[in-house]
Amino acid sequence: MTAEVFLFWFLAIVTVVSALGVLFMPNPIYSAFSLIMTMIGVSALFALLGAYFLAGVQVIVYAGAVLVLFVMVMMLFDLKSEIKAFTKGTLGGVFKIGSVAVLAGLILSAIMVTTQGVAIKFQGQADFGMQPTRLLGNKLFTQYVIIFEILGALLLVVAVGAVALSRSKGGTHARRID
Amino acid sequence: MLAESISEIGLGHFLVLSMILFITGMLGVLLRKNILTVLMSIELMLNAINLSFVAYARSLNQLDGQIIVFFIMTIAAAEAGVGLALVVAVFKRFKEVNIRFFEHLKG
Repeated sequence: MTAEVFLFWFLAIVTVVSALGVLFMPNPIYSAFSLIMTMIGVSALFALLGAYFLAGVQVIVYAGAVLVLFVMVMMLFDLKSEIKAFTKGTLGGVFKIGSVAVLAGLILSAIMVTTQGVAIKFQGQADFGMQPTRLLGNKLFTQYVIIFEILGALLLVVAVGAVALSRSKGGTHARRID
Repeated sequence: MLAESISEIGLGHFLVLSMILFITGMLGVLLRKNILTVLMSIELMLNAINLSFVAYARSLNQLDGQIIVFFIMTIAAAEAGVGLALVVAVFKRFKEVNIRFFEHLKG
């Protein structure tokens, strides 16, 4: 068992356990912390797969920005009534879990079929030429430059939209509507 | 076969791990009623997809998968921003962040 294999199993256990934490933690703030742990585990898996730049971006964007945004928005709320907010109804729950199980079976069989001829082990070394990050930048600014620009425009629209939404009518002293 | 699949890792392992993370996120979306947890589960699902993209990039030795992951991360950040703005709007009206209040959002 090499270090790579050991790391994979360790990280797999960490990510799956903390993902289950997101699902089952009663308090949303603990869910957020679990999600941070999952993100860091996924980032380490990226590094294991040779995607070092994406591993850094994953930590900066997800653990650093998105999750901080979540935690700060949570500070605005009174979350007492949200603790243990699961859906009600046994029948509906059974249907939901059943449909997810069916989807899992479908994906699993698709993986089985498509990886039939592929060797269990990854072939070759985990490198994409001399400088993978430089190659990534080259591809991003030549072949994919239009998508990149469109995403920039999208981010601008989203920033304006988020501000407009959270400043919408009602103010901070809106009365409760039943 | 089993011993080999434990002592050697490859594309299939990463795909199965990605599948497990994805269905965990999907269960979170379906079972939780708190909007914040639902949004976090959506982030989890996007991360699972990212993992499978990077695994394929490694397996095929091509960087295009990693670029798609880059774009997915941008979309995920944008989605989190808009989703949290909607949550703030709902909280202002109803003083609670439960998914059942989303049916009142009109215009």
